[in-house]
Amino acid sequence: MKLYATLIATAASLAAFAPATAQEVTFDKPIRFVTPYPPGGSHSLHAGIITTAAEPHFNQSLISVIRAGGGGAVGATEVANSEADGYTLLFGDPTINSLRPQVEELAYGVEDFIPVARINYSPAIFVARADAPFATMDELVAYAEANPGDLIYSSDNLNGWTYTVFELLKARTGADMTGVEYGGGGPAVARLLGGETMAYAGDISVVGEHIESGDLVPLCVTDTVPVEALPDVPTCPDAGYDVVFQFWRGVLAPAGTPDEVVVALSDGFESLMADEGFLRLIGRIGSSIQFADHEEFDALLTQEIAAMADVAALVDANN
Amino acid sequence: MLADLAAGFSLILDPAVIGVALAGLLAGILVGGLPGLTATMAVAVLAPFTFMMDTLIGLPFLLGVYKGAIYAGSIPAILINTPGTAAAAATAADGNAMARSGRARQALEISLYASVIADLIATIVLIAVAAPLASIAIKVGSPEFTLLYAIALTMVAAVSGQDMLKGMIAAVLGVMISLIGLDPMSGAQRYTFDTTLLLGGISLIPLLIGMFALSEILIRAEDQLKGTRPGSIDAKRASQGLSLSGLKRLMPTILRSTGIGTALGSLPGLGAEISCWVAYGVAKRTSKTPEAFGKGAPEGVAAAEAGNNAVCPAALIPMTVFGIPGDTITAVLLGAFMAQGLMPGPLMFARDAETVYAIFAFLLVSNVMLLFVGLWAIRYMQRIVLIPNALLYPAVAAFCFAGAFAVNNAGFDIVIMLVGGIAGYAMRKTGMPIAPFVIGMLLAPGLENSLRQSLTASRGSLLIFVEKPAALALLVILAGLVGLFALQGWRRGAPANTSLNQQNGETR
Repeated sequence: MKLYATLIATAASLAAFAPATAQEVTFDKPIRFVTPYPPGGSHSLHAGIITTAAEPHFNQSLISVIRAGGGGAVGATEVANSEADGYTLLFGDPTINSLRPQVEELAYGVEDFIPVARINYSPAIFVARADAPFATMDELVAYAEANPGDLIYSSDNLNGWTYTVFELLKARTGADMTGVEYGGGGPAVARLLGGETMAYAGDISVVGEHIESGDLVPLCVTDTVPVEALPDVPTCPDAGYDVVFQFWRGVLAPAGTPDEVVVALSDGFESLMADEGFLRLIGRIGSSIQFADHEEFDALLTQEIAAMADVAALVDANN
Repeated sequence: MLADLAAGFSLILDPAVIGVALAGLLAGILVGGLPGLTATMAVAVLAPFTFMMDTLIGLPFLLGVYKGAIYAGSIPAILINTPGTAAAAATAADGNAMARSGRARQALEISLYASVIADLIATIVLIAVAAPLASIAIKVGSPEFTLLYAIALTMVAAVSGQDMLKGMIAAVLGVMISLIGLDPMSGAQRYTFDTTLLLGGISLIPLLIGMFALSEILIRAEDQLKGTRPGSIDAKRASQGLSLSGLKRLMPTILRSTGIGTALGSLPGLGAEISCWVAYGVAKRTSKTPEAFGKGAPEGVAAAEAGNNAVCPAALIPMTVFGIPGDTITAVLLGAFMAQGLMPGPLMFARDAETVYAIFAFLLVSNVMLLFVGLWAIRYMQRIVLIPNALLYPAVAAFCFAGAFAVNNAGFDIVIMLVGGIAGYAMRKTGMPIAPFVIGMLLAPGLENSLRQSLTASRGSLLIFVEKPAALALLVILAGLVGLFALQGWRRGAPANTSLNQQNGETR
């Protein structure tokens, strides 16, 4: 009988609690999760995994929408112009959310978005061909200084992160190197392996296999801590070059989205990041999670936007 | 290797695997057959659902969708002159002419046989020599790509029909349309008129739907209004299939196109959309009766279909050996492989040999399945030509709108489709061929990118096109082809000659 009373009391307290939760944000229609890049890249792959596993954490499904074009500008513009109700989210990155709006004339600005959650980040790894005339960062820079313009490197896209890390390196050292943009990590690595270029800096998911097979030599990572999978590769600052650029993947909402909606979304992603099935899939694609909630992400992004303004100025001054 | 393959077969010949593969093939055929629903989109949408499945359930399903969709693009191309996928655009010309002259079933069967044979041979190439072939393909750099694109562009001459000048104009228009959007290297906006709508460029698929399908509907509607009834199709003749001797006669064309498709497919970046035109152009050039092309030549259908289907297994070559996707669809597949814990790349064969060979075995098995599924489907689909136009074409029009929207979920694409439809109608009425337009639009971005990449890598020196032996060889082939076309044009008369000079200038 006592147990019965306890149960009733528990139920009553739950009922008393219920109105409070009801006032919190619930999502009554599917949320559009916009990836601004074509299918097949690491971004759309992450988006596929996120949207597959998201439903129980939002009590609503996330629909993966791919709006490619203009190197991400088309999708970003669309989200920036969509209704600020939390039902349209952008799967962003530093290229489209902090660098390009500051160096190019785009139809949106950095202020058009509110950070919701950072999913993860990864540094770029500078790599050289195994038969290149350099095998360390110092040798690479020495080679570039001795042979101005002859060091040809691959990069993905203009003002993308694989492009920007080389711009930073050039700005910091004053060395003259020639970059060729191939439009994506796949072709950029293909031409590096084929011998058309000598160096590249990219994500571990793109270069890791080739480092392991011995075709590419890792030089340094653009972070302040080494990469877990490659503990022997120095960070660029440790190697003597102040080139730090963390490529994050994060979720942003259009500016003007109500705070309580942003909080609810941030909480939803936080709970998703602890989902076992989700983590297993993320692990399989060689990725990991470094979650930051909306407040932390906001602070990081504000910092980065300021840093990118400096980068833009530095690169401009160098060119 | 044979033992590995045998082990692979034993894993694959499981009722559950065969079942999902069958479901995948049927879903793919449905998607590929509907204009606007592309193979890439189908695979991209369905890929996340396979993430949670068993490897040998999820991947066979996706590969089945991929195969089914690439094959099925030819079905509406033949039956209603509306390619279901961009890769089937070259099939439409002769395929639809055959269907209209009452040989629908034959055209569908040629397309099926050519697809299956090409796919089978290219799969064997993939299994047997993927590694050596990939190590050659990876050496192919920007200068070689530039010249390959230029050689492919000379196919404009082959598909221009009677009036070479109109063909050249169409090709140049196609090139110009492809320039709209962001400059791929500098990021500068070209012809965007400060609107975000044009930032991503003109989407190819909606435009193709308009130019082929909507213009076809407009022409049929006009026929109806004018009361010019198309000749009624004899149901008995339409159900006549392809004879064994007929297939034998097509074999040289199929084999040659398979070779072209396999070679182009193994180069990252050159997809089925381009390979079908090259195969078609070569078939016409080497044919004893080139004048029959475009008017219902069985060789035209066989060449285009073998050319595009051989690309599918071939595009897996750089993906499995280097982890570098050959086109968008293999890039999506790469993601699906990764989500299964398979990391395509130099180490996959050592790490996951069992699964890799099971997938190879599956590719062979699914081919046989495609043959039977296709033959079964053709029995019903050939009857589509017997549906009265007044019922068929409104339904097709509805699919045009839905398909154009579905590609990017963008309303503006419907506008592109409508404009494409009106332009396509005008082109047909003025005798301006659509094929060169499509080729120009398809090839220009790749040509531009690889040309600029070559010149950046060589720091502006044109010598990069003669220093590498492979580039030099391609340059000689290009010069030879252009010279040959110029000579043929000169023999035919002055007007064709001027247009050939124009083309010569354009390919540079």
